[in-house]
Amino acid sequence: MRRFLLCTAAMAALSWSSFAHAQTVIELQRFFGACEADYGKVTDVSSAVGECGIITSLINKFGADNPDIDVNVTTVEWPGYDQLNAQLASGAAPDVVSIHYSAISDYQARGLIEPVDEILAAQGIDPASFTDAARSGVTKEGQMFGLPFDNWTMLFHVNLNLMKEAGLVNADGTPILPKSIDEFFAQGKQFKEKTGKPYLVQILANETAVYARMLYTFLQQQNSDFFADPTKIKLMTPEARNVVEFMKRINDEGLTTPGLDYAAAVSAFANGAGGIAVNGTWLIGDYVAQSEKSDTALAGGYTVYPVPQLFPERDSTYADGHAWVLPKKDRTAEQTAALGKLFKFLAENDFQWARTGHLPAVKAVFDMPEFKALPFRDNIAKIAETGRSLPAEVQRQFAIQDIIGDEIGAAINGDKSVDDALESAESRINDLLANI
Amino acid sequence: MAESYRRGHPGHALFILPYLTAFVVLLAFPLFWSIWLSLHKVDLFGPGRFVGLTNYTRVLADPVFLQAFRNTILFVALSVPTLVALGLFLALALNRTTRTTSFFRGLFFSSSVLSVTIVTLIWRFVFIPRDGLIPVIFEQLGLQPINFLSTSGWSLFAVGVATVWWCLGLPMMLFLAALQQIPADLYEAAALDNASPWRVLRRITLPSIARTIMLVTIIQIVMQFQLFGQAQLMTNGGPNGTSRPLVMYIYETGFIRWDVGKGAAASELLFLIILCAAMVQYIISTRKPEVRE
Repeated sequence: MRRFLLCTAAMAALSWSSFAHAQTVIELQRFFGACEADYGKVTDVSSAVGECGIITSLINKFGADNPDIDVNVTTVEWPGYDQLNAQLASGAAPDVVSIHYSAISDYQARGLIEPVDEILAAQGIDPASFTDAARSGVTKEGQMFGLPFDNWTMLFHVNLNLMKEAGLVNADGTPILPKSIDEFFAQGKQFKEKTGKPYLVQILANETAVYARMLYTFLQQQNSDFFADPTKIKLMTPEARNVVEFMKRINDEGLTTPGLDYAAAVSAFANGAGGIAVNGTWLIGDYVAQSEKSDTALAGGYTVYPVPQLFPERDSTYADGHAWVLPKKDRTAEQTAALGKLFKFLAENDFQWARTGHLPAVKAVFDMPEFKALPFRDNIAKIAETGRSLPAEVQRQFAIQDIIGDEIGAAINGDKSVDDALESAESRINDLLANI
Repeated sequence: MAESYRRGHPGHALFILPYLTAFVVLLAFPLFWSIWLSLHKVDLFGPGRFVGLTNYTRVLADPVFLQAFRNTILFVALSVPTLVALGLFLALALNRTTRTTSFFRGLFFSSSVLSVTIVTLIWRFVFIPRDGLIPVIFEQLGLQPINFLSTSGWSLFAVGVATVWWCLGLPMMLFLAALQQIPADLYEAAALDNASPWRVLRRITLPSIARTIMLVTIIQIVMQFQLFGQAQLMTNGGPNGTSRPLVMYIYETGFIRWDVGKGAAASELLFLIILCAAMVQYIISTRKPEVRE
């Protein structure tokens, strides 16, 4: 009996020690939604669609390829920074977190995230393998503070069926898009007259980030250096007035759907509510899927383009991106190595992520035949050159976006004059930046 | 034994220790910490720098705070009387013991058990342009639809409607409990005197539940000053900040902008407002009841 007990105890100890030795646990926290019901067990990444499906199956695949590493995934509501802040404040941060390039400055300036150069080097990942836009998105003070994952921007998603009805399609089947403000209103008016529907489907209620993104885009197109000093914004300028007056005129002339929030705007476009949806890269996959069904408003009639150049100075579009960062915390060498493996895996599978519609962060993906074969990637590939973010030193970009959304929304709805709104936005943002 | 019980014993204080511990750790300590934070320039991640009352002057000079304060006052001023009046009306209507009234009591109370996320999701389906219930009804009636969630004035109204629907159950139940405490002989006497229903309501029912009406009013004032989830999820405070309440201002300042000191100062000001309302409740609840003849 005694021998039996000793054997059992020894076997239990051995099995525990081998288990403890084998399993390196890393805590991964991300947004991109939850879809465990559909993709909880999927490891065939190529069969997944959409942001949530692809990232879930990617992490599943990594787990299957690395049985010695356990990746515990926590999914947070977009953008998840409240939760991350609480975790950082209480010393309970995850090991790796999804983040926007525009939010990295806040955490890097406060010393809350770690540079990843050494981890990338240890895995043989060359920083030069990333696109300039992606690399600059995560580079602060000469160091990379995250693994760049993609670039995204706002696009013109086009309902070709309605554009045909409006007579706004070229002989080759491509849509006729405006090249100036005057053309924009002429085409918008023509569209409305011919179809009885608004030209644009925009998100104008609740989440107002689109106001800031479009303001940045059209300011960039006018060569306005509105953040020449990263601690002060300049919005009391003729360029900013041009943009807000343009956006207000779209509303005043009834060329946009009014009052839709994000979810309503996404479904309204899919249901044929208007000609062009101003929305992000991440919707390409979903709208392509809609266009492949015969009984939808987009059936056989969907395409997508970058926001057109409407001001003559230069072609530019505001771009941001997603990255993976490492909150500052104590880790074992095994955990650091596991994170390096994860980064290498994600970089190697950047093509799969690019199927969402986001632009790849890894240069080589652009040359892959599979990428070139993805729908409409030729149309939007130029964003890799025309996409520009805010200067890397600008902090609190999400809060700035909210203020701009508040104030420009007020101007567009007629609650404030354009000048009052720009003055108020400028003073609120500068007060925010002065008190960091 | 009885004398000893009345005199008490220091050891009896141990019985309140568990609650006292929770009270100190979860309420008293955060309160004083928040006051400390409000006197510092500080973010979420480290020690701050003492700045005296600067955060308070910044808050009081911030037009966004003043707008949020006005919004909150307006919201409380409109939602509380509505909740009290509707709650009382429903309680009066359902103060009978039949199956139908029991069903309706459960029905009207059921919204109170929902989370704010579900409540706002339901009302989003009602208000959202194009496919929402109200726009569809407007369209059927040939009326110009109103963008309830993105039009100044209407957005706070929409938040108010969702709030009243969500919060109505508690006032109704409190009023029902109070109504059932009124002695039946008062109503019998009124019936013998051939008093009209209106006279019975004014002379018997309302005076008998006057303290409950006050209690419900004060509870609702305190609750509605803390409006947050409905406004954040339905309108995100817009358009132009016209539906941004004080708690949302505090959240944005402290958590989105990392200006925790300023957010704490704003929360202390809100605390003072709620404290005043709570003191009124305390004074009323400790007042000696009138002697009924």
